Amino acid sequence: MRQEDDDVMHNTTRTTNRPRRRAARAVAVGLTATLATALLGACSSDDDGGGGDDDNITLRVGVFGQFGYEEAGLYDEYMEANPNITIEQDSTTENADYIAQLRTRLGQNSGLADIQAIEVGNIAEMTSELSPRWVDFNEYDVDTSHFVPWKIDQATDADGRVIGLGTDIGPTGICYRTDYFEQAGLPTESEAVSELFAGGWEDYIAVGEDFAANAPDDVAYLDSAGGMFNAVVSAFEERYTNEAGEVIYQESEGVQTAWDLSLQVADAGLTDQQQQFTPEWERALANGAFATLPACPAWMLTTIQSHAGDAGAGVWSMARSPEPSNWGGSFIGVTDASEHKEEAVALAEWLTAPEQQAKIFANAGNFPSSATAQETEEVQNATNEYFPGTQIGQILSTAAAEIPSTPIGPNDQIIQESITNGLVTVEQQGNDPDSAWDGVVSALDNALAE
Amino acid sequence: MTTEHREAAPPAKGGAAPRPTPPASGTARPAPGPKEQRRAERRSRRYRWDLKYSPYAFISPFFLFFAAFGLFPLLYTGWSALHSASMLTPNEMEWVGFENFTRLWEDEFFWKALRNTFTIGIISTVPQLLMALGLAHLLNYRLRGSMFFRVAILTPYATSIAAATLVFAMLYGRDYGVINWALDLIGIDRVDWQAGTWSSQFAVSTIVIWRWTGYNTLIYLAAMQAVPNDLYESAALDGASRWKQFIHITLPSLRPTILFTVVVSTIGATQLFGEPLLFAGDPSGGTQNQYQTLGLYMYEMGWINRHLGRAAAIAWTMFLLLIIIGIIYWVVTRWVSRSSGEEE
Amino acid sequence: MAVVNTQPAPQDAATAGGPERGRRARRAKAGAAGGHLHGGWLTYTILAVFALGSIVPLVYSAIAASHSKARLSEATPPFWFGGRLFTNLERAWEDANLGKAMINTIFVASTITVSTVLFATLAGFAFAKLRFRAKNVLMLLVIGTMMVPPQLTVVPMFMAVAELEWSNHLQAVILPMMVSAFGVFFMRQYLVQALPTELIEAARVDGSNSLRVVWHVVFPAARPAMAVLGMLTFVLAWNEFFWPMIALTQQNPTVQVALTGLGQGYVPDQGVIMAGALLGTLPLLIAFVLFGKQIVGGIMHGALKG
Repeated sequence: MRQEDDDVMHNTTRTTNRPRRRAARAVAVGLTATLATALLGACSSDDDGGGGDDDNITLRVGVFGQFGYEEAGLYDEYMEANPNITIEQDSTTENADYIAQLRTRLGQNSGLADIQAIEVGNIAEMTSELSPRWVDFNEYDVDTSHFVPWKIDQATDADGRVIGLGTDIGPTGICYRTDYFEQAGLPTESEAVSELFAGGWEDYIAVGEDFAANAPDDVAYLDSAGGMFNAVVSAFEERYTNEAGEVIYQESEGVQTAWDLSLQVADAGLTDQQQQFTPEWERALANGAFATLPACPAWMLTTIQSHAGDAGAGVWSMARSPEPSNWGGSFIGVTDASEHKEEAVALAEWLTAPEQQAKIFANAGNFPSSATAQETEEVQNATNEYFPGTQIGQILSTAAAEIPSTPIGPNDQIIQESITNGLVTVEQQGNDPDSAWDGVVSALDNALAE
Repeated sequence: MTTEHREAAPPAKGGAAPRPTPPASGTARPAPGPKEQRRAERRSRRYRWDLKYSPYAFISPFFLFFAAFGLFPLLYTGWSALHSASMLTPNEMEWVGFENFTRLWEDEFFWKALRNTFTIGIISTVPQLLMALGLAHLLNYRLRGSMFFRVAILTPYATSIAAATLVFAMLYGRDYGVINWALDLIGIDRVDWQAGTWSSQFAVSTIVIWRWTGYNTLIYLAAMQAVPNDLYESAALDGASRWKQFIHITLPSLRPTILFTVVVSTIGATQLFGEPLLFAGDPSGGTQNQYQTLGLYMYEMGWINRHLGRAAAIAWTMFLLLIIIGIIYWVVTRWVSRSSGEEE
Repeated sequence: MAVVNTQPAPQDAATAGGPERGRRARRAKAGAAGGHLHGGWLTYTILAVFALGSIVPLVYSAIAASHSKARLSEATPPFWFGGRLFTNLERAWEDANLGKAMINTIFVASTITVSTVLFATLAGFAFAKLRFRAKNVLMLLVIGTMMVPPQLTVVPMFMAVAELEWSNHLQAVILPMMVSAFGVFFMRQYLVQALPTELIEAARVDGSNSLRVVWHVVFPAARPAMAVLGMLTFVLAWNEFFWPMIALTQQNPTVQVALTGLGQGYVPDQGVIMAGALLGTLPLLIAFVLFGKQIVGGIMHGALKG
C-alpha cells in the first residue's frame, strides 16, 4: 500500500515536466518524500483547483499591493463575458512578501498561479535567469503595440520573448506645497512653478536656495538626498546596467551627476534628512516638514493624499519635472506551469488592454502603460480635487512621452539602495563624501560578487 | 510503534523486587509449573524489553520527524554552501568547494555582523534572563490576579510583528518619536536612534528584552512550581529572609532550567533576526549595517542579493559557531559541577 | 504510598541535600496551588509595571485599529480609541478571509501543539530519567538541531513540498513542525529536576510498565511544563509566518498568511492591518488563559495514582 502510494506520487510529479539535474538531490528529496508519506500514512490529495472537467476553468491570479483589478470590478466583468471561467485572486500587500513566495515557487516551477504580477524592480531577474518559467506572449500573438515601447522592452528577454505585459507606469512630476511656496515668496501656480524648474535640476536647486532663505525655518525644501538622487538618475538613458547587461554604476554619467547634485542639496542643508517610505518620512510628510518631492510619480499622489490627510488637502500641487522619468510600475505574466495557458494569456491581454487600463486609472490612479490609454480623454484631462487647479493628467502624460528607454538589470535595486545609504551617511552623520562613496563601492562589490 | 508496551504485562509479583537496572531475571524465581513458568518468563522478557527498548521508543518520534523534515534541509543547506548558486535557480549549482567559507575571513561585513550579534546578544540576553528570574520569583508568590499577570507578561511573545513595528517606530523615531520628545522635555539632546551604533543596538536590545522576558519568566515559573513548598516553610522557620530563600532554595533548584534558558537564549541571540528586521524595516541593519546581525546578513545575502550558496555558508558558519559556544559551555559546566560535586 | 529507595539515584541538581529528599517525597501530596508566600505591595507594583509595558503594544494596536487610515497618518498620532474599531474589524475579517484562516490555524496549531508536547515529554523523560545507549550523543544531536538557522531551510523545504505536491496544502506547514528540539530539551531539563527518580522506581515496584509510568507518574509531574510548552508551541505555530507564506496561498491560508493580504493599496491601510493583527492575536490570549490554568497548582496532582 505504501509502496503504491509512493509510485503514484512519483508518477504525478513526473508529469509536471520538471528537469532533474542532480541525482543526489533527487535521492534526498525522494527519501524525505518516502519518510513523509510513511509518516502521513496517506498520499496527499490532488484536488488542485482548475482540474478542468468540461470547459469550466478556474484561473488563479497572484498579485501584490495596488493592482486594483478586483476593486474595479474587472474580474466580474470578465467572468460575465466568459461564463466558463472563474477567477480567483491571491493578493499580498507587500511586494517583499510576494516576491519571496514567487521566487521560491518559480525555482521549483510549482504552486504557481496562472497569472502572476511582477514589480518593475524584479522584472530583470524574470527576463534573465527565470525567463523559461514564463510564457512568451509573442507565441500567442498578443498585440503589444499599444504599450509604450520601453515598457515592453523591459519585459523582453535576450531571445526576444515577451514575458510580461505592462500594467501601470510611474511618470514623474515635482510635487510641492503651495502654502510654503507662497510664504517663501515664490509662485504657486503649477504652470509658473514648472517654468521655474524648466532649465534643469540646477534650477530646482537654485529655487531651493531661494526657498531656504525665505521660508519658515522648520520647513525643509525637499525630503531627502536619496529622493534627489532617484529623481536625477532616473532620467538618464543609462543608470546602473548597460545594454549588454554589465554593471556600470561606477562609470555611469547618470550616477555621477545624480550623486553630485544630491551632495549639493545635502550640503546646502536643503533636505529634511529623511529616508523615503520609513515611518518617520511618512510622519514628516503628514506634518508638512518639507515642501517638495523632486520625483513625484502618479502613484505618489495617492501616498501624499493618504499621509497628508485632510490637513494637506489643497496645499499640495504638481509641476512638470525638468527631466521626467519613470518610477515604479508593474507587469503581469503567465507562468509556464499554468495548465490553462491559452485562457490565462487571453485574460492577461484583456486586463492590460487600453480600456481596462483607463478604468484602473480612474478607479485607483494607476497611470496606464498603454500609450493608447494615455491618449484617452479621461487620462489627458484627469484632475484630482485633492490637488486643485493642477492638470495632473496633462503633466503626467507629457512626462510619460519623455521617459527614456533605460536598460535595467537584476541588481539595480540593490545598487540604488546602497548608494542611497551612502548618501544618508553623508547627510545625517556628516561622513566625508569620498569615503561614503568608497563604502558604497565596497558594499556593492560584496553584494554583487557571485 | 510502541505496541509491545501496550500489551506488556506487569512483571510477576512476589519475586525479588525488580529494579530498574539491571532488570530482574526470571530464572531467579521458584518455578511453580511449566505453563506458569513460561508465562512468567514471557512477562519478564517483556519487562526486560520494556526497560531496554522503551527509551528508544520514546525518543524515536522526534528523530523520525527530524529525519523526514529537518535533515534534508540541513544537509541541503550544507551542500549548497559548497556551491555557487542563485536563489532563483536553486536546482542549478556550480561546485566551488570551500570558497564561500574562506571568503568570510576577508568579509568585513561578516565580521561586523558577528561583532554586532555578539554585543546585541550580551546587552539583550543578560538583563532579560535576570529580569525573567526576578519576575518569575514574584509571580510565584500567592497573588491576586496572578492569571492576569501571567497572560500579560506573555503578550509580547504573541503580539504581531506589525503591531510591534508600529509601536517601536513611534517610540524610537528621530523627529517624532516619543522617547526623543521626552528627552527634549527634560532638556537632553535628541538621539538619532537608528543612526548610531550603540543607540541602535541599545534600541534593538530593548525590543528583544521586551519580546522575550515574559517567555523566559514563564519557563522559570514552571520550574519553580516543582520546588517543594516545605523547603521554603522550613527555611522560613529557620528565619531565612525571602532573599536568602531565593538564593539558597530557588536558584539551586532551578539550575537545569537556568542552563536551558541560557542555551536557548544563546542560540536565539546568535540567530537574532526578527527584532533588528522590525527595527530597520529591511535586512540591511542600518545604513552602515550598524546593527546588522549574522541572521540578517545571511537573509540579505540569500533573499536580497540572491546568493544562495554564500548565504548557506553563513548559515553553516553560524551553526559551527554555536557548536563551539556549546563546547565552551559544556567544558565550563563540567568544571563547575566537578568542583561542586554535582551533576548537570 | 511508600517510596522504596532501592539504590541511590543519580543526584538531581535540584535537590539541595540529603534531608530534603525525604521531605520532597513526603510533599508529594502537597500540590499547593500558587506559591509559598503572599506578595506585598512592592511585588504588585513591579508586576504591574512589567505587565503594562508588555501589553502596551497590543493595546496600541487596538487603538490604531479604531481609527481611519487618514487619522493614523496625521501629524500627531491618536493616543486613545476612535470610532472605527468595528468597521475596521469587519473589513479585516472579510477582506482576509479570516474565518477560514482561523479554522485552518486552529487545526494547524492544535495538531502541532499536541504532537510537540506529547513527543517532547516522552523524549524528555527518556533523556532525563532512563538509561540507554548513546543517550548523551543523541541528546547533543537534539540540541544541535536547534542551532540551524531557519531562514534558509525554506528553499530545500519547498523542494520537498513541490516533490510531494503539498504546496497550498495544510500538511506542508503541519508536518515539519510536529516535533521540536526545543521542547525535548526543555522537558528534559524540567524533568531532571521535577521528577523524583524514587517515584518512577516505586511505580516500577508496583508493577507498572513504561507506558503506565509515563501516564501515571511522568505526565502528572510534567504538567506545568507541558502547559508552558503547549502555550509556547501554540503561539509559535500560530504566529509562524515565513514558511506558511511560501507554502500556502490566500485561498487556503493560516491567519498570518491571510493577514499579509490586508490593507492593500499603494499606501497600506494601517487601521485595517491593525484590526487584522488584533483579530489574529485574540485567540492566543484565550489560549493563554486555558493553558495558564494548567501551570498553577504544583506538580504532584495524581502522582500517587500509579
